[in-house]
Amino acid sequence: MIDQFAFLISEGFKNFFRNKLASFLCIITIFINFSILGSLFVIGFNTNSLIDFFRSKYTFEIFLENDTKSSSYESFIKELSTDEIISNIKLIDKEESAKIFEEEFGENVVEMLGYNPLPVSIKVILSEKDFEFEKVDALIFSIESIDFVDEIEYRGKYINQVEDRINLTIFIFLIFVIAIIFLSIQIISNTVKLSMSNRKDFIDILKYNGASWFFVKVPFYIESFLHSIFGGLLAFIFVKYLFTGFNSYFGVNVKLDEFLWIWIIGFSIFIGLYSSSQSMKRNLNE
Amino acid sequence: MVEFNNISFNYSKQSGVYNIDLSINENEFCFLVGPTGSGKTSLLKLMYFDIIPSKGEIDILGFNSKKTKKRNVHKLRKKIGVIFQDYKLLQQRTVYENIALPLHINGIRRKKIKENVSEALELTDLNDFQGKYPYQLSGGEQQRVCIARAIVKNPEIILADEPTGNLDPTAAHKILKILEQINKEGTSVIMATHNYKLIAEKDYRIIELKNGRLISG
Repeated sequence: MIDQFAFLISEGFKNFFRNKLASFLCIITIFINFSILGSLFVIGFNTNSLIDFFRSKYTFEIFLENDTKSSSYESFIKELSTDEIISNIKLIDKEESAKIFEEEFGENVVEMLGYNPLPVSIKVILSEKDFEFEKVDALIFSIESIDFVDEIEYRGKYINQVEDRINLTIFIFLIFVIAIIFLSIQIISNTVKLSMSNRKDFIDILKYNGASWFFVKVPFYIESFLHSIFGGLLAFIFVKYLFTGFNSYFGVNVKLDEFLWIWIIGFSIFIGLYSSSQSMKRNLNE
Repeated sequence: MVEFNNISFNYSKQSGVYNIDLSINENEFCFLVGPTGSGKTSLLKLMYFDIIPSKGEIDILGFNSKKTKKRNVHKLRKKIGVIFQDYKLLQQRTVYENIALPLHINGIRRKKIKENVSEALELTDLNDFQGKYPYQLSGGEQQRVCIARAIVKNPEIILADEPTGNLDPTAAHKILKILEQINKEGTSVIMATHNYKLIAEKDYRIIELKNGRLISG
């Protein structure tokens, strides 16, 4: 049994090196397809981070009239905190507003003007779980009618549009991914088919000498496995250095999943073995 | 050992084998004769279940054509050695590797493979050729390699499809002699041929086919 298994493994390796051109073409095909797939995966991975970033911006800020008494807005904050669509409320008093101004513009507004003209504001962080634009709109409308409210800064609609665009992009990516997977399966299947028709005599001889289907198939599986490993490995190296180069050239921070190599190589092995299996099912006339 | 019960198989309306009843015993040597297209190859293919009869059933070495599942056909083929007119040798492999192939399929250990291949090389007089490739050999030598590959696994039956078809008379006689030797050692041999001259002096059973029908035997 061990000798038989060793023979099958060595057959797979021998076939891989015997059919150099077919092996090369198959590896190149897997490399190209999985480079595209890997790149899409990285983009998709970062798109999720982008959505998370936008979601974290589900806030609005209420700026109060300058002469508002603390007792008025404290009771207002208490009332707001009972609303289920609000997850957190933060009061930004005049001193903190001055600090934020200094951080953003580099100037101390009190020293510059001799007094602090900045208003007290209330930052309202909305709950992502129960988020509904209609409810937020209604809340903002009711707040606007309060006497001591000067202005409300809210970019919800804008965020919503951006998220819609991102979702559309993800959908298009998914279609691309499915198309590339389908294309990969077709190309690998056809390579295996070609490889089998090139070795029809070998398959016939094995069959007429009592080889089981398992015995006939194993060398082809090993060959496909090797194609997938090499193709997937090259694709991973390409994707990794593509985005590393992209980050340093454009000064951005596209993140790479730490398990990216497992995704690319593992998935290419899976697709390689699946395509081989389908091709053998169709062409071996089992 | 081999039982054909009212077997029919057709490739088309005019070609195939029809209503064959035949029985071949253990350790028998028989010739399957008839002109080209008479159904000799079909009859051999039916024996190793390469084709399955459309009518009737075949019993061979304990395997029934109706009851044997496709996935178990290899078990029957392990017991049969097949010799082809066109040799079907792997050109990229040496004589030794070609002969050893059925033993690898049967899961024989490496040491035993060496012993069995040596015996087969001895019997077919191929000792000096084991490191050569098939394309470096003559037709007769290639056919001997094919025979060695068929006998190396000690099959119970040898099916030889026109093994002398492409050979000159001297080489053909040598092949027949080897097959006779194999038969003497206890293996049944069924040899398809249309070389009547070659078998004329032999006192073996002759099964004659014409237009897919059994004429005698």
